[in-house]
Amino acid sequence: MFETGVRQFRMAMSMVWGRRIDTRNIGRLVDDVLATLAEFGEPGADAQELLGGPLADPKAQQEFATRGLRRTARRLATASPFYARRLAAADVDLAKLDLAGLRAIPVTTKQDLVERPGDFLCTDVAAYLTTRTTGTTGRPAEIWLSRYEMELWPALGALGSVLREDLRPSDIMQVNVSSQATAAVHLTAASCRLARTGCRLLGVMAPDSALDSLAESGATLLFTYPSYLAELVTSARRRGMGPDDFKLRCVNLGGEVLSPSLDQAARQTLGVPQIEDSFSMTEVIPVTGRTCSQSHLHIDLNSGHTELIDLETGEPAAPGALGTVVITPYFPYRDCMPVFRYDTRDVARRLPDGPLSCEASGIPAISQILGKADSLLRLGPADVITPRQLIDAIEALPTSPWPARYRATAHGGRIQLTLPAAAITDYGEAAARRHFAEAGLDVDLTIVSDDQATSLRHTRSDLREATFNTQHALVGA
Amino acid sequence: MTTEPISLLQQTFTEFGVIMVGLIAVSACALFYFRHVRMERPPVGTFNGRDIGVLLVFISTLPFLYAVLPDWLITCLLVLTFTSSLFIGYKPVVGATRAWLGIGLLIGLNIWTSHHLMGSTAGWQLWWGELSILVGLGAIAVANLYVQGGMKLQYVAWFALALAVYDIIFATILPLTDKLVAGYLAHPLDPLLGMRFGIDNYGVGLGDLLIYALFLTATYKAYGAHAARLAFGLIVVVGGVVTAFVPFLLNFFDTELDLLVPSQAFFGPAAFLFYLWMKHRYGRERTMGEYRASTDSAALTTTPAQPAPAPEPASV
Ligand SMILES: [Zn+2]
Repeated sequence: MFETGVRQFRMAMSMVWGRRIDTRNIGRLVDDVLATLAEFGEPGADAQELLGGPLADPKAQQEFATRGLRRTARRLATASPFYARRLAAADVDLAKLDLAGLRAIPVTTKQDLVERPGDFLCTDVAAYLTTRTTGTTGRPAEIWLSRYEMELWPALGALGSVLREDLRPSDIMQVNVSSQATAAVHLTAASCRLARTGCRLLGVMAPDSALDSLAESGATLLFTYPSYLAELVTSARRRGMGPDDFKLRCVNLGGEVLSPSLDQAARQTLGVPQIEDSFSMTEVIPVTGRTCSQSHLHIDLNSGHTELIDLETGEPAAPGALGTVVITPYFPYRDCMPVFRYDTRDVARRLPDGPLSCEASGIPAISQILGKADSLLRLGPADVITPRQLIDAIEALPTSPWPARYRATAHGGRIQLTLPAAAITDYGEAAARRHFAEAGLDVDLTIVSDDQATSLRHTRSDLREATFNTQHALVGA
Repeated sequence: MTTEPISLLQQTFTEFGVIMVGLIAVSACALFYFRHVRMERPPVGTFNGRDIGVLLVFISTLPFLYAVLPDWLITCLLVLTFTSSLFIGYKPVVGATRAWLGIGLLIGLNIWTSHHLMGSTAGWQLWWGELSILVGLGAIAVANLYVQGGMKLQYVAWFALALAVYDIIFATILPLTDKLVAGYLAHPLDPLLGMRFGIDNYGVGLGDLLIYALFLTATYKAYGAHAARLAFGLIVVVGGVVTAFVPFLLNFFDTELDLLVPSQAFFGPAAFLFYLWMKHRYGRERTMGEYRASTDSAALTTTPAQPAPAPEPASV
């Protein structure tokens, strides 16, 4: 108990002064939380304070952000070749940098990262591990991570997770994310190690094998992509599996749009009571966001600064308007290959001004991610269709075509929507058109054969990893 | 002080009475408090073996602090210790304002009586009475702070055993404690519960009361009411009877000093053996969570879920 107090104090001091945090100290705090839960069954009052937040007062949030940005910019100006040039060119006084002055510094794009990765490496840190973006758009960017980062993030993640009881020693987590997502895989394994949770790293394997594994191992947690969850639900239904076959208590999803139809189907078929739709992105780790019960996206304030920038003007998006999410992870949470004002090109809508009434109202929120900026369909000057609208509508078709495979273009103020035949089998084009009209989508339908489905829209579930016995487990049995 | 000597036997019986009143009142009230009052605890942290070490180091250095530090500084430290433990202990019972008022009144009165009322037996008795309330309340609060903070019976047993060693060393080989206690008597916030009869002072130390209160509540928490009754019997027999009479039989202490008995020398080993027997008989101790689930229907306080760094970034 006395030691725990000292550890908390040390962690809090590092956070307040913006110094590198002792990762082993956090690891021991995780042990303290586990011991506390073992003795009391729950953490004591105000457990969230331990995570350094949330700062409920907007003014305190602004001051915290200003301090974090100045600290981060000051370091980048000396340690990062790319930002040394960029900050010098922007001619801003870093000691006086504030939230308004931030706009003088141009956003960083994925193209910058892809073209000049070496310039982003900080000169005062040894690189340890690379991770690649696994997005379906464009060339992958490669991010170097330091040992410190690979120890810090799982420690902070595990601390938050055990405090919220998202990870328990009694849990087994099955991980079906691409093995190429090195950071995600390593961090998940390391978080599980700290939280003493069982961890099953399987990659994006054949859905039937993943289902067998879920059922046989008694996994209680699943970490995957929405598209892969869609394949699991589809396979489970085809095989007649139901809630009794699984012991899942939570599914954690990220990286893609999760539609309400798929969310509901997964709850029904896999019997999972809780589905966490979180936001995270290789380029801006460790900044993450969570979706609340009112479908807002609340992005963590402690580890980075988030802006929503108008797609055309580059100014802050107006209430109700669409914008691209721009994130600056703070030092000391990111130190090897940091980005400053990274334009994720993930589009969200700014919520109307005014107080929030959800359970996470202390943290500012935007709408859920609606899709990538270059996937928006512009039907007219003020008429924009987002990928989320299309995916939600397609996945709500009674044929359960999960994950949604489609191609959409704008033509003459209408949506030209191409779907595979299976999406409307036994339902018909006319009914499908009515279905989309009810969702507010005026579509011209084109139907193609099912073997073209995958090429219409790639999803992360297509990053399939082969094994020798995939699909043929019964041969010779 | 000894103008009118009374027999050692009479002194022993008086001391026995004082010890019994103190240990029964304090340990029973501590258990009552434990069953009815839920203290706030920090978000993270549970009492572990190393905390015992910290406590032992603190207790071992305390006598030297008495010797080294000036009186006013000792008084300040005692005021701080009493204030914080009483506030933590009684804020959940009477609310913050009344707790502050009560603590201010008790401590203020104690400091005032320490300086103004020592001329007469009645003055001494008032001082003792008031101090005993203060010390008793303190022991009840601290015992609950520890047991409700996760101090297992196992730790209490080891703690008592370690204090036995401590008591033996300091009461026989290095007779420092007695001198210090006698020297500090009548100072403000002297950590003793006791009374004056005639010209003699009879007291039992805060540390001893704390051990009894810890032992009773931790046994109740760990193994339930039946085990607690046995523990209570042990406290009365070993902590009270043996502690009071064995020194008399062994002619353990001299009559020149006001009475102070190395109680833990007897109680520590007995408590430790009792713990081993309990463990053998009932198995693993209940955790605080299991205890609450078994007997306590108080509404559970839950912490709201807030976004925070997720354990596993996926990538877009
Ligand atoms: Zn919300």
